[in-house]
Amino acid sequence: MTAPGARPPARLSPARWAAWLVVIIGGVAASLAMEVSGWYASPAFVRPEVAYQTLHSAVPWVFGICAIVGLQLGEKRLPIVMMIGLTYLWIPQLFFSVIDQVGWLWPLVQSIDLAWALLLGMIALAYPRGRFVGRVEWAVVIVGVGASLVRLAFVLSSDSATPATCGCAPSPYGFWGDLTTFLLGDLIYRIFGAILVMFVAVRQFLGWLRGSSPTRSVAFVMPIGLLAWLLALIVEAVSFGTTAGPDQRSAGLVVTTTSGPVSIVSLFAVASIPICYIAGSVHLRNTRGRVADLMSITRDGADRELWRESLARTLRDPGLEVYWWDDARGAYTDSESRRVELPVEADAPTRTLLPIAAGDGSPIAVIRHDRALTENTRLLDGVSTALRLTVDNGELRTEIQRTLAQVRESRQRIVEASDETRKRLERDLHDGSQQQLVALAIQLRTIVSAADAEGRTEIGAELESALDRLGVALRELRELARGIHPTALVEGGLPLALPDLASRCPIPVSTEIDLHERMPELVEATAWFVTAECLANIARHSSARQAWLGAESDDAELRLSIRDNGVGGASTLAGSGITGLADRVEAIGGTLELHSPPGEGTTIRVRLPLAPPLRPGLA
Amino acid sequence: MQPGRPALRVAVADDAMLLREGIGKVLADGGLEVVASVSSGEELADVVEKGAVDVAVLDIRMPPHFRDEGILALERLRESGSQVGVLLLSMYATPEYAMRALAAGAGTGYLLKERVSEPRTLVAAVETVSGGGSVVDPEVVAQLIQRPRGDEPLSRLTERELSVLECMAQGNSNAGISRQLFLGVKTVETHVGNIMQKLGLKDSPDNHRRVLAVLAYLGSR
Repeated sequence: MTAPGARPPARLSPARWAAWLVVIIGGVAASLAMEVSGWYASPAFVRPEVAYQTLHSAVPWVFGICAIVGLQLGEKRLPIVMMIGLTYLWIPQLFFSVIDQVGWLWPLVQSIDLAWALLLGMIALAYPRGRFVGRVEWAVVIVGVGASLVRLAFVLSSDSATPATCGCAPSPYGFWGDLTTFLLGDLIYRIFGAILVMFVAVRQFLGWLRGSSPTRSVAFVMPIGLLAWLLALIVEAVSFGTTAGPDQRSAGLVVTTTSGPVSIVSLFAVASIPICYIAGSVHLRNTRGRVADLMSITRDGADRELWRESLARTLRDPGLEVYWWDDARGAYTDSESRRVELPVEADAPTRTLLPIAAGDGSPIAVIRHDRALTENTRLLDGVSTALRLTVDNGELRTEIQRTLAQVRESRQRIVEASDETRKRLERDLHDGSQQQLVALAIQLRTIVSAADAEGRTEIGAELESALDRLGVALRELRELARGIHPTALVEGGLPLALPDLASRCPIPVSTEIDLHERMPELVEATAWFVTAECLANIARHSSARQAWLGAESDDAELRLSIRDNGVGGASTLAGSGITGLADRVEAIGGTLELHSPPGEGTTIRVRLPLAPPLRPGLA
Repeated sequence: MQPGRPALRVAVADDAMLLREGIGKVLADGGLEVVASVSSGEELADVVEKGAVDVAVLDIRMPPHFRDEGILALERLRESGSQVGVLLLSMYATPEYAMRALAAGAGTGYLLKERVSEPRTLVAAVETVSGGGSVVDPEVVAQLIQRPRGDEPLSRLTERELSVLECMAQGNSNAGISRQLFLGVKTVETHVGNIMQKLGLKDSPDNHRRVLAVLAYLGSR
């Protein structure tokens, strides 16, 4: 679909609104002035019935009002301009009585007195897109405009009226022909116009017949209005051709058979066309509004069949099908994932395909819809855009989720790696240096015994002091190893390590530990780390007299709760130790909850899933 | 080692060969008979099952997981009804661990590994557990005593009573305490009675129970 059709017109500024209103009111007022002045200037015997004249005067009002409504709806400018133009060009025949003494003016006015019909036809032709599409429409426009220009030149140059025949001032432009040639030319123009209108009307009517689209429900007025107008035109042309003669024209410049039901119908037909235009637009707009619902359906993750149904309902095309592009299979599939070979339009002449591609040109789907819907460019644009947006949206979401998963995984890997490193370091210390030093102590002790046995007590005493220093070194190494990785955790898991931690806290910690099985190492290490940090925080900042440590686990998660009766007011703001804790907890898919009102102590609750969410095999 | 009695048969289990040998040597020098030297809890269980062992000295952290295999081996031995003395060695002094070990039953000891460089301590501990006594490393007891407590009944103890309490926690009998603190047995009994009363504990003629009670008291907060 063409993108420009989908762009809604910009909102009008107040100044522009005022300008439009002035132009519209000017047209309606000018037309009314022509009607009224013509009425009073004409002799009573040429005046039509008052009812007819009133109706005739009302037509520009209808066009003006429709133009205002169209502006408000943000309709395309072209039909609105044509509607406004029509109010200016709606020249009553009676008006010639006003200007027939102004020789330079009346031939000019007469040459454009049927231009309204051209505009009217073009309005009908532009429906419902608001512009002319395709060669046929442009050809009709060009032929119509061309014929009108020819008529303009013809009317202006023909010496149709003389003071003798109409009692008007002589035309300064006329140089050939007479009334008969003038009337003939006028008749040919009218017949030609009628043919063009017939063409437009038949086109509209056929489009309506084909359609299962919303145009059918409302826009039937348009072709009917056109047909009525066409009928009136034909009748007029025929009666004009048969009855109009020098006798009638001698009464003035009036070239009309303004009487009888046909002319009334003609007026109604003319006035119906802008109304049809606007009403049809409003209806399409409603349908477009429902397209927005489609987006919310898709956003809610509804299945493809539901989406197809909603689209079919929205477009009132029950036979509508949506074929989705399947990247893996390299083909389109229907809503039941059956492969579909395109094109499939050949089997049904009333169907056509609307391919929808993503922003990068990759295919998303093909909508197979009633051909009549192509009339409704904006609606289909709405559908395309909705679909494209939702697909793009979905892809973005998938992308974000994928990235997020990757980030989480890598965060977890980093935590695991650092945990692993610490563990290995502690193990190396335990199995290496510590064992070596203990073995060395045993060896030294043996030497001490030997030295003592040999009576070399001074060597024995020196070795004793070396042994003491070795003992100190061992103790320091023990503390170091404990700091690198909790040895109690290694040996006894959380049931051992948490009480051990609590016992090292300078503030009394009462513990309630209900843990049975050993948990994944990463979970244990995280729980230990969090508890250690929290207890350290309590010791350092809380001024608490007592702390409580709770830990319980089930098959799914480990829950920690660390509470104190201190000053409270802890925050998770950046830079606080708690942020680091939360990071560490979240790295393995857990949650940390802080409750620390000032003066009421601090409670931290941590939940750690036993199976890491991203890599279940990790545990 | 008293003359006239057959040497205690000891099995040593440690995955580090160097230490295994060292411990064996220290024990042998102390007059004990090292009948087996193995590197895992399972092998030790096999040796003990054969019935030729009085005491097992074993490392806590051993293959396959290097966690608490030693203590698991102890628990399995006790479950199977074995009354053999078990002395656990650990690189770290972890009170909860000591309590878990002692909870497995009488004739159990828990010592820091570096004590193996003090032959008298190690041999005495082996002899104690072989006789159904309990041994708890002084460092563990020190940690327990230093633990912060909300209510502080320990502060109501005299310095002497505190020393007695420490000895009790380390697994000493009244006679052992009297030897260690150079006090008369009667005096020790008086102190013990006072301590138990001040701490609200029931004295028990069974030394192992008494150790458990004291440790449990010190371990609780």
